[in-house]
Amino acid sequence: MSSSHATNPPAAATSIPFKRILVANRGEIACRVFRTLNALGIASVAIHHRVEARAKHVRMADQAVEISGETPVAAHLDGRQIIEAALATGADAIHPGYGFLSENAGFAKAVVAAGLTFIGPDAATIALMGDKISARNFAAARGVPVAPSVMPTQDIDAFARDAAAIGFPLLIKAAAGGGGKGMSIVRSASELTQAARLAASEAQRYFGDGRVYAETYVERPRHIEVQVLGDGQGNAIHLFERECSVQRRFQKIIEEAPAANLAPELREAICAAAVRLVAAAKYRNAGTVEFILGADGRFFFLEMNTRLQVEHPVTEMITGLDLVRAQIEIAAGHGLPMAQGAVAQHGHAIECRICAEDPAREFLPETGAVRYLGVPEAEYLRFENALDPGQKITTDFDPMLAKLVVHGPNRDAAIARSIAALKELALLGVTTNIDYLARVLGHPAFRAGDLHTGFVAEHREALVIDQPTPDVLHQALIAAALGFREFHDLAFSVPEPHASIGQWRN
Amino acid sequence: MAFKLVLDGTLHEIDIVRRRPHLVVRIDGCEHEVSVTGSYDDGRQAIEIAGSAVHFARAHAADRLLLRLDGRSFEAKLLDPRSEETGGGQDSVRAPMPGAVVTVHKAVGDQVSRGEPLITIESMKLQTALPAPRDGVIAAILRSEGEVFDKDEIIVRLEDMAQES
Repeated sequence: MSSSHATNPPAAATSIPFKRILVANRGEIACRVFRTLNALGIASVAIHHRVEARAKHVRMADQAVEISGETPVAAHLDGRQIIEAALATGADAIHPGYGFLSENAGFAKAVVAAGLTFIGPDAATIALMGDKISARNFAAARGVPVAPSVMPTQDIDAFARDAAAIGFPLLIKAAAGGGGKGMSIVRSASELTQAARLAASEAQRYFGDGRVYAETYVERPRHIEVQVLGDGQGNAIHLFERECSVQRRFQKIIEEAPAANLAPELREAICAAAVRLVAAAKYRNAGTVEFILGADGRFFFLEMNTRLQVEHPVTEMITGLDLVRAQIEIAAGHGLPMAQGAVAQHGHAIECRICAEDPAREFLPETGAVRYLGVPEAEYLRFENALDPGQKITTDFDPMLAKLVVHGPNRDAAIARSIAALKELALLGVTTNIDYLARVLGHPAFRAGDLHTGFVAEHREALVIDQPTPDVLHQALIAAALGFREFHDLAFSVPEPHASIGQWRN
Repeated sequence: MAFKLVLDGTLHEIDIVRRRPHLVVRIDGCEHEVSVTGSYDDGRQAIEIAGSAVHFARAHAADRLLLRLDGRSFEAKLLDPRSEETGGGQDSVRAPMPGAVVTVHKAVGDQVSRGEPLITIESMKLQTALPAPRDGVIAAILRSEGEVFDKDEIIVRLEDMAQES
């Protein structure tokens, strides 16, 4: 369904110079890229480790090449083998998907050196954005806000002076620190010198290094990121923002576009900052600029991801663009799909990441097998996955099994449709977070758009799955009993004379 | 007679009260008429209880049944009617077949997690680790290394849930 909403202008699809593209990935994202290749009439090549020889992404591609490695993940990280596979199959370009080698500057360089096109930015840009310090400095120099900080020092008075100039609240940390030692939150100038002295003495005691530094403390931070497209010539547009504040184990589980309750001026400022950064870097490809947004409206650059993002479908749903197609056309030198003013926005989209994990056990990964997969269908819904009946769910790869992406005319409708779809979705044979996701979406704070990265921890108790009502419990027991041969036989298959006597058989 | 069903770790009894003209079952003292009983196959199903349609998805996985009903997932297991289990089938580890104990991995008083191997047995030249059925504390290990046992014999007991705080 991914392309059904796509309204990329009927660019020069026919003149795309790529005849065959290798996708250096697997699972749902490989399948996602193949769909666009099929739509564009470009031949596809899959790669796979021995353990996934019959996987969906392998079957979906026109050709497949086995790659080897000590583990399946190691195989997918072996750039040399992947480039050889591309050359051997006559591919002219490599799409890296997300994860694996997608942000590996050395791989991007090697792909180009082999005479192939890397569907992504050039190696130097990947390296620039891949290093937190260089990315931060680059952003700051282009007027993109970065969290103010005061460098480590032992001169407490100078430190207090500089720190007070940043503003409050501030987080004071030991330069050599860790584990919360020597850390404190300071909310006013009057506390500052005292707190700095205390932090310095703790730092000295625990780490033998009394230097402390301070940075702006963002309370209840929201994760807001901007989808961008750059043509590599200094032209860039944004496709609005996404909010990805609902996270567990520092990973996103629910993403949406647009962000809830974002003041129009603030939204414009964040998107403009992202475009400024991308244009200055002469960035080529789709990319994502991530920000932290404080409750006070201040926002700070976090990092830039120089690849297609897991949550890109929510942006596709509200803009009607096919981002994979945009990536390919940009890599082919066709430039941006449209001018900024032509980027449309329709309604609201939410993505839920369906993971093999147990929310009741700190979200630890679960294993199992796909015994039954029942997926709701609707024109407003995408179920991105590469699952097959009977497929074993192991810990070989990431626990994300699928993505449920739902569109609605507004946020309330998108939430209601998402909850209904999660309830209808049946993935039997492995413990998943499906019910947990439905509880998050149904929580009043989520509905109100009161989000921050501590959401899962803050609402921990309220998000515990409640007990079924006695009615539902009895329905489940009857439904289960009818599935057991012993019960079924006794209830139905016994010949009539025995049926009235009932009870035991041998 | 009552079927013993363990649903998500809790033991329930379900009785067949009548079969004609419609199936009537009793659960916790409540009788339910099941007028449409669906098929035995895996997949989406609709049954009718007290005249109302109940939709669900169901799949068989070895001796367990997996259910998706009312936006919830359930796991069910049918207990052997000869079983003396009262604790929901979760308080002890039974031998799935006759054999001998190869290795005892835990000791009485050990805290164990669901799925953790407690004991390795050998039956018909095959070694199998018997996992803990739930989180708990080991109350007794009834067979030591080298000893033989029969099918369904209790090998390891866990402390009652009620005794753990």
